[in-house]
Amino acid sequence: MKIIEILLIIAAAAIVVGVTITSIINRRKGKTSCGGDCSCCSGCCRSVKKREDKSDKKA
Amino acid sequence: MKKFALAGNPNCGKTTLFNSLTGSTAHVGNWPGVTVDKREGIYKKLAEPISIIDLPGIYSLSPYTPEEVIARKYILDEKPDCVINIVDATNLERNLYLSTQIMEIDVPVVIALNMMDALEKAGDRIDEKELEKRLGLPVIKISALKEQGLEELMSRAFEASGKERKGQTVLEDSALKHLISDVRIALAGQGVENPLFHAVKLVEGDELEVAAHKETLPMIEEFKKTFEDDVFGTDFEALIADGRYKYIAGHFSPVLKKKNKEKFVESRSDKADKVLTHRIWGIPIFLVVLFAIFHLTFSENFLYLGSIFGLPSLEEAGLLTAEGDPINYGVKWLSCIYDGAVYSPGVILNNIWNEMIVGELFGLIQGAVESSGMSSWAVGLINNGIIDGIGAVLSFLPWILTLFLLFSILEDSGYMARIAFILDKMFRKFGLSGRAFMPMIMGFGCSVPAMVNTRTLADEKERTATIRVIPFFSCGAKLPILTAVAGAIVAYFGLGNADLITYGMYLLGIVTAILAVLLMRSTTLKGETPPFIMELPAYHAPQFKNLMLHLWDKAKHFFKKAFTIILASTIVIWVLTHFSFNWRFLADEEINESIMAGISQLVQPIFTPLGFGSQLGEYGWVFVVGAIAGLIAKENVIATFSTLGACLAAVAGLDISGLDIAAESGVDAVQAMIEATGIGVPGLLAYIAFNMTTIPCFAAVATAKAELNGKSRFNWTLLFWLVTSYIAAAAVYTVGSWPWCVVLWLAALAGAIAFIVIRGRKNVKRA
Repeated sequence: MKIIEILLIIAAAAIVVGVTITSIINRRKGKTSCGGDCSCCSGCCRSVKKREDKSDKKA
Repeated sequence: MKKFALAGNPNCGKTTLFNSLTGSTAHVGNWPGVTVDKREGIYKKLAEPISIIDLPGIYSLSPYTPEEVIARKYILDEKPDCVINIVDATNLERNLYLSTQIMEIDVPVVIALNMMDALEKAGDRIDEKELEKRLGLPVIKISALKEQGLEELMSRAFEASGKERKGQTVLEDSALKHLISDVRIALAGQGVENPLFHAVKLVEGDELEVAAHKETLPMIEEFKKTFEDDVFGTDFEALIADGRYKYIAGHFSPVLKKKNKEKFVESRSDKADKVLTHRIWGIPIFLVVLFAIFHLTFSENFLYLGSIFGLPSLEEAGLLTAEGDPINYGVKWLSCIYDGAVYSPGVILNNIWNEMIVGELFGLIQGAVESSGMSSWAVGLINNGIIDGIGAVLSFLPWILTLFLLFSILEDSGYMARIAFILDKMFRKFGLSGRAFMPMIMGFGCSVPAMVNTRTLADEKERTATIRVIPFFSCGAKLPILTAVAGAIVAYFGLGNADLITYGMYLLGIVTAILAVLLMRSTTLKGETPPFIMELPAYHAPQFKNLMLHLWDKAKHFFKKAFTIILASTIVIWVLTHFSFNWRFLADEEINESIMAGISQLVQPIFTPLGFGSQLGEYGWVFVVGAIAGLIAKENVIATFSTLGACLAAVAGLDISGLDIAAESGVDAVQAMIEATGIGVPGLLAYIAFNMTTIPCFAAVATAKAELNGKSRFNWTLLFWLVTSYIAAAAVYTVGSWPWCVVLWLAALAGAIAFIVIRGRKNVKRA
């Protein structure tokens, strides 16, 4: 296997793993990971607020 | 950091001011209710940075809709250092109604008189110094759009923020002034903050205040027993509203000097509205406008000039070689604009983007990869997996942007708000108010902000029904599925024309939404349709800056998605379709032994009634893979088609060199799938219908979950999407294959309507 093919495998795996992990982190942060930003709508911010409110109540 | 809140009526220019102050690109539209949640930005031109909070537009501080609650809670609980109250100068009296309520809170307030340019253009003027004196608050003339007076506004607000201010009321002439004063003293004695504001609201009978200050209520009830107004009786809310308006009319309105004092002057907007919101012509005009949008975007026969004048094709004009290629570079450019007919602007942009930019660039990369000497799997992964997949998605960018631009023009001009108004009567018959139209039409762009915008609907059941049908309004991401499959139908079967099929499928989505709403509002989500009151904004020419910001945002979002989620998905799909369960690399012809084929073939029979299941034979599973990949992001459907297109072309014994899988917007990829599977037109149309109405992408599902009240409502929504898409696709497939089935479907529909009517009557009898 050529070095460029090994690099290709690493890059492809990095992309898939990176996107998946980022999506999971965004979900945990309460973001919808729609790819847009908050100027489009504020759905993400609202989800974050909801989570904060819930944790405040628990506390 | 100091916090300044922007508060004002809907559509008075708060978000435009917010963007101008903070350099943000928040969505601005010419209709009331664009902003449904607060957002934050930083103003940096003062001695210290200031946090600016853009609040949703509100007419009062009463808690009738979610936005009013958000704005009220923010001003009362978060205690901004200053409230900048934006007042639409062209509509002074009505806007000052909110100002009189904000004034009652113990917070520094500055009045920004916006749209002064429009007011002065009409020949009217406002004596702002006199208004400042009468209000007892700083008043600054601004134009948020032209960025005039903003520095003065911010420095006056900064100055005001350093001083303590006690609330003051304009209800001093009201018959309730003594009661308000007594309640205020009582609340202040209990240590309540902003006692004047709470006292007025408590006297009004505001439900939040009543719940919070039960111990003070008897005082008001006692007073009510001895009080009776000639006009309003004991309706204190109406009495207070009347008191505010009387005060505004008597004290504030005189500062406005109108050019035409006596006669009513019909504005251009009024004249246009006589036609555009006409009782009979309003809806047909809207349908023509909608068709014009699709024609401008998708038509390969712009204004039907080719058919009218019988224009020659490039081949007939001798401008193509024997192989069908343009004879020179100039003709190649010409072929992007014309071939027997002039193309619409959307098609021209798409051709230039695909033929001259993406096609050339990706062709060069693919050529370099092929000649690099890499193994066949590596070449396949880069060329057929990544480049074909991403290329197919990117090829739709001009179409998506053109469509989005035309909808933005409608929105910015003020016509969109009129459509909500003219559709109200029709919507009411289905159990929705015209207000629900705004989020629905936003769904043509993206379901995520559309679902968030349903917060402007006060009725929870109406809101749930609207959220559920928003995905049926085909978003930009579904456009590639529509155009690729419609294009393949025209190219392979020689049927109809692509833009009519696309338009028809958009209409199918709308009809499905209407039927679904009708069913929901008559059964599980039954309830009164709330009244619809909407202020119609004046028409104005769309702002170039706004349009470009909308487009930039859309393009940025699209590229980000293409090079993250779509890229990762194409890699996974390529790997799963080119490796067997024992991890052996498979040639294109062997994809039936792949992991993906093995999994997809298990669920393939489920789709048989929809025309893309078991009847398609061994390769039919590719359609299933596309539909499932679309659950992550709808663009994945076409990316999957393009990734698999090359394999299927080899399977079907097609000449791959004749098919340009990536550059032809997925049309050739779908043709390869048709050749390999033998799917017919009904099956393809059913496939579009299924993808348009099924569970939307991950982002939209997550938004629906956040916006719907309760887990059970969300779970029912998921089931609703699955069932609706299954029924819609089955109807399209069966009617397309066996036209007599239309009788069965109509009978089923009639049965459902009869069931609803009978059930409704039974419920009425019981009541």
